[in-house]
Amino acid sequence: MAEKSTPLLAVLQLLRKYNLKGTEEILRKEASLGDAEFVNLDLPDVEIASILTAHHTESDPYSYESAYDALKKFIDSSLDIYKYELSTLLYPVFVHMYLGLVLYDHTEHALNLVEKFGPEQEDYYQDDLKRLSTVTKKDQIKGNNIAEIYSMNKFVVQLSRDASSQLKRFIHEQKTPSIILNIINNHIQLEVHDGPGRTQAQVRATAGGILGEAVKNENKTKVYYGLLKEPDIQMLTAPTEDEEEEETPDKPKKKKPKKDYNFVRKPKSDPNAPPNDRIPLPELKEAEKIEKGKALREASKRVQLGPDALPSICFYTLLNSANNAICADICDDSTMLAVGFQNSSVKVWTLTPNRLRGMKSAEKLQDIDKEAGDVLVRIMEERDRDTNRTLYGHSGPVYRVGFDPYKTLLLSCSEDSTIRLWSLQLWTCLVVYRGHTWAVWDVRWSPHGHYFASAGHDRAARLWATDHHQPLRIFAGHLADVDCILFHPNSNYIATGSSDRTVRLWDCLTGTQVRIMTGHKSPIFTLSFSACGRWLASAGTEIIIWDLGSGLPAAVLGAARLSAPTHALVFSRDNTVLASGCLDCTIKLWDFGSISEEATSEEAESNTMLQKDEKYLLRSFPTKNSPITSLHFTRRNLLLAVGTYEGSS
Amino acid sequence: MSDSDFAYSTSLSMDSIKVIAESVGIAVLADDAAEELANDVTYRLKVIVQDAMKFMHHSKRQKLSISDIDHTLKLKSIEPQYGFIQSDSLPFRFASGGGREVYFTEEKEIDLSEILSAAPPKIPLDVSVRAHWLSVDGVQPTVPENPPPLSKEAQKLESVDPISKLNKPANKDAAGKPMCGKAARLKASESVHVKQLATHELSVEQQLYYKEITEACVGSDEGRRAEALQSLACDPGLHEMLPRMCTFISEGVKVNVVQNNLALLIYLMRMVKALLDNQSLYLEKYLHELIPSVATCIVSRQLCMRPEMDNHWALRDFAARLMSQICKTFNTSTNNLQTRVTRLFAKALQCPSQTNDESGVGPSMNTNMKESEKTPLASLYGAIQGLAELGPEVVKVFILPRVRWLGERLEGALSGAGGADRLAAGNLKHQLLKVLAPVVRQLRQPPDVYKMNTH
Repeated sequence: MAEKSTPLLAVLQLLRKYNLKGTEEILRKEASLGDAEFVNLDLPDVEIASILTAHHTESDPYSYESAYDALKKFIDSSLDIYKYELSTLLYPVFVHMYLGLVLYDHTEHALNLVEKFGPEQEDYYQDDLKRLSTVTKKDQIKGNNIAEIYSMNKFVVQLSRDASSQLKRFIHEQKTPSIILNIINNHIQLEVHDGPGRTQAQVRATAGGILGEAVKNENKTKVYYGLLKEPDIQMLTAPTEDEEEEETPDKPKKKKPKKDYNFVRKPKSDPNAPPNDRIPLPELKEAEKIEKGKALREASKRVQLGPDALPSICFYTLLNSANNAICADICDDSTMLAVGFQNSSVKVWTLTPNRLRGMKSAEKLQDIDKEAGDVLVRIMEERDRDTNRTLYGHSGPVYRVGFDPYKTLLLSCSEDSTIRLWSLQLWTCLVVYRGHTWAVWDVRWSPHGHYFASAGHDRAARLWATDHHQPLRIFAGHLADVDCILFHPNSNYIATGSSDRTVRLWDCLTGTQVRIMTGHKSPIFTLSFSACGRWLASAGTEIIIWDLGSGLPAAVLGAARLSAPTHALVFSRDNTVLASGCLDCTIKLWDFGSISEEATSEEAESNTMLQKDEKYLLRSFPTKNSPITSLHFTRRNLLLAVGTYEGSS
Repeated sequence: MSDSDFAYSTSLSMDSIKVIAESVGIAVLADDAAEELANDVTYRLKVIVQDAMKFMHHSKRQKLSISDIDHTLKLKSIEPQYGFIQSDSLPFRFASGGGREVYFTEEKEIDLSEILSAAPPKIPLDVSVRAHWLSVDGVQPTVPENPPPLSKEAQKLESVDPISKLNKPANKDAAGKPMCGKAARLKASESVHVKQLATHELSVEQQLYYKEITEACVGSDEGRRAEALQSLACDPGLHEMLPRMCTFISEGVKVNVVQNNLALLIYLMRMVKALLDNQSLYLEKYLHELIPSVATCIVSRQLCMRPEMDNHWALRDFAARLMSQICKTFNTSTNNLQTRVTRLFAKALQCPSQTNDESGVGPSMNTNMKESEKTPLASLYGAIQGLAELGPEVVKVFILPRVRWLGERLEGALSGAGGADRLAAGNLKHQLLKVLAPVVRQLRQPPDVYKMNTH
């Protein structure tokens, strides 16, 4: 027995693992495998187990095809109430058959299998399948992203109790049940739930994750999605108010007569709100209090939006930057715009006639009386400076920039695996946060400042505080790149979206995962929390709105139409309109008011409410060949959009 | 690519590997080595491209760039490829020979000394931010920064196939006026499609714009006129006002031809030119108004008060150019535009001998003949100019056979007494020489060359 058959090697590896030297030697002698010939398979344990249990079918690669065919026939002929749930089983079985064939060096048969049954798999698995089908040799499995994900984790399939007993009967009736039985035993986690089988729409709503659906039990933890009690800040009737209005020319020229007079802060006792001290938040500084007061005053002048009162949109076009500008952010009071570039620089523009000023030099600062009331004004340079400033420091494309809530700091993250904190008073880099091993895709501030969160190619999200150079928490669990991250408005939770097509919610206090939500059919590029904190919108090529209470999707928007990915998503400040900006150069406005209303009123049958996106689309505004990079609602509900002009084509 | 024609297992061919091996100096590569290499390289390439897609997505692009590949190589701890910087896509060229087919990218050798001695290239423009209103209270203003509300394709479709508009449901995507509550409800309850009578309601702003533009175009202030024409030529979203504009032009031409107001006719033709130049407009529906107006400005017997003094020839030339532009843009096999226009001009040149030779000469033909005998020289000039603008082939077929007859008329006019006539004849002669010379030269060229060779 000269050839090194896979099961033999697997046995060797097993022996070696349990340190059974004598047996190993005997086996080697008998199989006439010299030391030199020994190739370590270097496979994960699950794979070895499946090899050992399945080795007798190895001789017959044809049985795979017929076994898959039989399974398909059984599912097709089963009753409709079981059919759709059972059909979710096909894909994982198919994947592991393919991997099995590759493992036993039956490359030809593996390719036949994928050519024959690949095209009939669900459309959202096609991308994965294309990636998986590049693996054609057993030594490629180790080190390949997607093959490792499949072989190291169990695919979750949810079945009703009846459906699972149907399946059991089918497997027992088979003449050679071992292939499918082995795959189900080793690679698939069957979640049996009581109650009737689900319909096609219900199955489709939550299917799509790289490892199937989320397990219901994982979403049992209570999430405090309510908002924090706002610290009491008097509505300072500053005398500067009138003057300030003239300084903001970007606001709509004519004031709407309809003002939201009965604007009040949230009722004091929200049952869903976490206690204010659940996460330690920094004390507000004097300047920050003033800023908060300003925000409240602005908010009282907010325009009420709705299907009949659409927001005005001011579009900022970045000229001469085709293929160079990557990301943009507008600070909370809409006075500054920051843009991150492919060439590693970050630029900040002022959007008001007020120019960007720096702090005085150290010698001059010494002369200033620290007790003076207007010390904050005095420390700034008197002469007006530029309308834009450039920050250099990164050594790779800048994928996200973000202003802190009080617009004194700026965060940026880059391909060079660092996050940088910039001062908008000194206009220099203050801190470089190192921790991620690869490119950092996203970084976001906590709405209360001080904390920020980052996500990257290393499949982990990290929670940081500005005064620590190491992360406070590392959230690991995603199976692929974490593409986007966002703080919950109450700063207690962090949401992440990933290329593994799941959205997860993490608790900042405990560092654990409290929600895992599946249903996306494509990688997720952006997230947005509604102003009330209960809803989370996430977008890849489609937009899904999730109810954080249950962890289930409340609505799927634009699944059919959006072919280009959406990279910008924002809720209006009064929670009535959701705006999305797409790479196909359109801004779409969705009627979120009625989405949330219907989702809450028909909660019992919420899943049937999906896919009616046509009626939720209020309007779509095309731009002139400018893909949208960022969207922002001002405190008065004016929508600001940023895009780069790509030239006439 | 649809699922059916997607192949899951594409790979580099052994041949390509052998070609590559040759290019690095390995003359003979064994087949199994080549196959092993092909498989391995295919796998690695695919994995790299898959990862590069991530960088592309995060750069918010839909096109993979070279920098994405570089970043992926860095991710995989492979030295990136230096010196491959290309902002656009790199076209592959194809070559075959010796039974082999290769695709390659063209790389030109660059002479460094040339670059050093050349003037430094211009510094690229710095990135700048520009703000505009994409929407005001849910309505998209029609400013140059916004895309035209109705794309040219849609306008074209509408003029070619008007039914398509009725079949479409209320189009929410296209920006226009949002339907107010009541109108929307009415629309929803209506089950019968009634063709709307007044589809061209103009908003107050549009009415003001129309008034401003038309006044500026025919007013006396040259600066304002330039601005107005610029606006007509560049602004998107004028299609709603097109019917009014075209009527304005056609009525204006009718009135001013009678009054012989040369200046106004010129201004109106410049408006036509501006509308033709506007990229966002599709004028086909309005040609029935524009073509007669333009034709009038080409062949009318009198366009100005003092034909002997004013330069109405320039207007005829300009209008003839417009006509040829219209013909080129809108000629289709269904409307036969160019044929009809050519026939129109050719009729003016018809000479008696030709019509007599043709069979079936009716009384109407006879009157035609009489008329063309009397065609004023100015109209003749216009007709010839109109034909000349349509190309040398037209000149050859329609003007060349009439040269003798034209010559006779010119002789008569040049020797005649009328000062205006003599001037016109002089102009006509000059123009004929200019138009015919290149055509005749082309016709005569082959024998000349032949002679030169035999000598």
